[in-house]
Amino acid sequence: MLEAADQALVNDLTGAPSLRQRRALAKIITLLESTRLDHRHRADDVLNSLLPKTGKSFRLGISGVPGVGKSTLIESLGLYLIEKGHRVAVLAIDPSSSISGGSILGDKTRMERLSVLEHAFIRPSPSSCTLGGVAEKTREAMLVAEAAGFDVIIVETVGVGQSEIAVAGMTDMFLLMQLPNAGDDLQAIKKGVMEIADLIVINKVDIDPDAAMRAQLFITSSLRLLGFQGNPDHASHDKEFWHPQVMTLSALEGNGVPELWEKVSHFESLQKANGKFDSRRKEQSGAWMWDRIDAGLKNAFRSNEAVQALLPSLAAQVNQGAMAASVAARRLLEAMGHEFF
Amino acid sequence: MSSKENNSWPSFPDANLETWKKSAQKSAPNGDVDSLGWKTPDGIHLKALYTSSDVEGLNYTDTLPGFEPFVRGPQATMYSVRPWTIRQYAGFSTAEESNAFYRKALDAGGQGVSVAFDLATHRGYDSDHPRVTGDVGKAGVAIDSVEDMKILFDGIPLDKVSVSMTMNGAVLPVLAGYIVAGEEQGVKQEQLSGTIQNDILKEFMVRNTYIYPPEPSIRIIGDIIEYTAKHMPKFNSISISGYHMQEAGANQVLELAFTLADGKEYVKTALAKGLDVDGFAGRLSFFFAIGMNFYLEVAKLRSARLLWWRIMKSFEPKNPKSLMLRTHCQTSGWSLTEQDPYNNVVRTTVEAMAAVFGGTQSLHTNSLDEAIALPSEFSSRIARNTQLILQEETHIPSVIDPWAGSYMMENLTQEMADKAWEIIQEVEAMGGMTKAVESGWAKLKIEAAAAEKQAKIDSGSDVIVGVNKYKLGKEDLVDVLMIDNDKVREGQVARLKEIKVKRDSKKVEAALEALTKAAEDNSGNLLELSVNAIRLRATVGEVSDALEKVYGRHRADTQKVTGVYAAAYDSAEGWAKLQTEIADFAKDFGRRPRVMIAKLGQDGHDRGAKVVATAYADLGFDVDIGPLFQTPEECARQAIENDVHALGVSTLAAGHKTLVPAIIAELKRQGSDDIIVFVGGVIPRQDYEFLYEVGVKGIYGPGTPIPASAKDVLEQIRKSVKPA
Repeated sequence: MLEAADQALVNDLTGAPSLRQRRALAKIITLLESTRLDHRHRADDVLNSLLPKTGKSFRLGISGVPGVGKSTLIESLGLYLIEKGHRVAVLAIDPSSSISGGSILGDKTRMERLSVLEHAFIRPSPSSCTLGGVAEKTREAMLVAEAAGFDVIIVETVGVGQSEIAVAGMTDMFLLMQLPNAGDDLQAIKKGVMEIADLIVINKVDIDPDAAMRAQLFITSSLRLLGFQGNPDHASHDKEFWHPQVMTLSALEGNGVPELWEKVSHFESLQKANGKFDSRRKEQSGAWMWDRIDAGLKNAFRSNEAVQALLPSLAAQVNQGAMAASVAARRLLEAMGHEFF
Repeated sequence: MSSKENNSWPSFPDANLETWKKSAQKSAPNGDVDSLGWKTPDGIHLKALYTSSDVEGLNYTDTLPGFEPFVRGPQATMYSVRPWTIRQYAGFSTAEESNAFYRKALDAGGQGVSVAFDLATHRGYDSDHPRVTGDVGKAGVAIDSVEDMKILFDGIPLDKVSVSMTMNGAVLPVLAGYIVAGEEQGVKQEQLSGTIQNDILKEFMVRNTYIYPPEPSIRIIGDIIEYTAKHMPKFNSISISGYHMQEAGANQVLELAFTLADGKEYVKTALAKGLDVDGFAGRLSFFFAIGMNFYLEVAKLRSARLLWWRIMKSFEPKNPKSLMLRTHCQTSGWSLTEQDPYNNVVRTTVEAMAAVFGGTQSLHTNSLDEAIALPSEFSSRIARNTQLILQEETHIPSVIDPWAGSYMMENLTQEMADKAWEIIQEVEAMGGMTKAVESGWAKLKIEAAAAEKQAKIDSGSDVIVGVNKYKLGKEDLVDVLMIDNDKVREGQVARLKEIKVKRDSKKVEAALEALTKAAEDNSGNLLELSVNAIRLRATVGEVSDALEKVYGRHRADTQKVTGVYAAAYDSAEGWAKLQTEIADFAKDFGRRPRVMIAKLGQDGHDRGAKVVATAYADLGFDVDIGPLFQTPEECARQAIENDVHALGVSTLAAGHKTLVPAIIAELKRQGSDDIIVFVGGVIPRQDYEFLYEVGVKGIYGPGTPIPASAKDVLEQIRKSVKPA
């Protein structure tokens, strides 16, 4: 049963697009992001009640290093999609300071035109607000936006390895942005991010078209080396299964945005026809459950009183080399009242 | 007792630097003589003692005024024949009021007119534009067409009185309006004398009163330099300004370096148009801020002339005048305090002396109430008299460059020049100032300096009398000038309607189309075409729009600085405690306190907002920043969408009485009853009551330490969050 206040939010959310809907979406995301246990219970109930209305969007993950032009591309793409009749929600994850825990969320300053449109919703979230990792709360926020009728959800994150993999693991398509600069490309390959990209976009082609073309060739051949891509000119590859592709555009000038969306649509139709769209989502749901179990266990462990009582002395012993780390770990786990292997 | 007196000066025992050090060790803290003095924010060690060894090997210590390299001044006689020009900057909402003020000031000893425009005009909007409802008549005079210009200069002979105009964004229609106003007074273009600021590069770094992106903006500047070189030989086509950089937090070396690098960029722009360097270089003028770092400010002006000479040498002009830097100066508005405001007269006097010792060509001295409002008649008089007293009572002007030969001053002049040169080279390596600006690098450098400076004040390591030391128990109210923004707007809108009825709209349309076309084809001279359009009674907004069609409006890419404030605030008292309180809040409410910092309307002064955002994030808040130039409706939407606890509005241009009630009403209209609003910036005490009544929960004026405001905001949020 939902609390009355939450029921009112759910009603507003699932009603027609309006100021009330916008506010309800914002409030429910806040509830999801809360670290308080009672909020969590309420959030679970809200999510459950919304579940039948979710799943009907295309979920696009976008990542890249700071300065690569993510926000600029999202604005151009968002404007284009709204023009075509879509409703676009952007969920941006901004890094929190590891020192103060605080953050500066400035994304909207780069999506000025999109952020004022009726059919857009942009919500930046600080990465620290997610105890169980970046993905958890954003995944849920995505569902809420779907329940409000947004049919394209864009999840934006700064490229720092871990978060990219998380975003790829919750979206239907993962788009990696690159600068026309070979050094960065090498970096990306090392991190293994390339392996999860469905589409690689080289931005800022206007600044140095030659470098952009070189980067495109370089990445394309890297993909081939890594075995992710056959010859893109072989049409057969594209007929049934999607192979990662590389394209160039200029987000600032808005060039290449229709072509980008064409590729995304092509991806979507291939995936839907060959069944990968559904299987990917099913896998993601399963993984999500396990993520939540992991996070829940960790949480339960940390807040367990017996564990808390033991932890300081055992940690100190491990630190001094007086006890093996694995022994200490098992003792702490067993303090919860179960046997652990 | 008999005296050994004879008729020669006695000799004295030898002493050298080593013996002095030994003696000084006794009274130096920890016996550390080497660190006596002051480490400036520029990274210069201002030593406690300078000796002849500090000027050894310096190349430019024995030069003459009026000769290369011009360290000692651009003219041979400097103030000994004619003192600097007293030029007070002012603008009073309407053309009528400003005109009355200028005429009175000219009668009372003022020597030129300096026009401040309102925010809407700066950004190229007519007063009837929906985005500028709260901005018309704020921070200066509203100008929509040549009819307003004619009223502004009514009874002021433009062939005799020089006019300085602070205009950068809407520079084409405004300069055109001035030219046509002169024309209709019977004054030919070639007789017009004065200056237009026309320095767009610094707008992208600090003040943000730009319209178009950097590249087309630079084209406009090229066209203006070309036009004035041809038609207006007595008019300074540009005033390359460091003023706003220092006001925004830049240290003196940074101000020096970026200003001269800007200058270099403009020279390159004009040369690329095919102009001869001697045809325009003599009409480039500069504009610096003079703050409280007395020695540094004197040295800065001397270094500036040396550096400009060095830069211009490389363009190989034939006329030595092309190598000289001539400058206007203004005392620092940032250094003025709202608290105990009569202290500001003293501050301004000290700053004015630094400007004069540095050899400025003209000077504006700030009024004591400038930290809270537009100057009143009383405060303007005191400000003007400060300069008249220096000129006529002190005999300071009798001696040319009196600091020359000082070990300290000569050493400092060279060191500042060297340090600035390094930065200029760094800019050069990036491809020049336009590139450095476009990349955001320059802006970020200034913002980092600003955060550091604020932290030093908030933590008490930099002293400001009456603000963080020697505070008054009770502050007296100072009378300030109040502006009824709605009334000004109504008057302007009515006049716009009248013009649009009377003019030949077909001809106006054709003139505007010609402008658009010239922008498209990159042909013609945009100022010449603007003069045509304005003469036909096209408005400021229409001329701006005609170009915007091609160029678009520039949107700033907001970059963020973090960690700087915390690092400079050091371990000052209360910091850790406040961090704990924020962490406790996060535990109690399930998330960190989330605050949005917004600028509303056309006021682009974003230093304060940026510094506050940085400091709050360093404390542990989650901080949302709004884009510049938001309307209340857009701002409320962002606050609600991001579901912030509190919304902080930063206002520096007197828009608070219109914009703050508007944002509170918008929050309500869009369904939010729980976001609290606080206000920071320049707000007269007289308005506090009004703001509290409309629902503001906290007001933080100039001089409020950021941690104190943060603590208050946190408490207010705690009070307002519904227990759940």
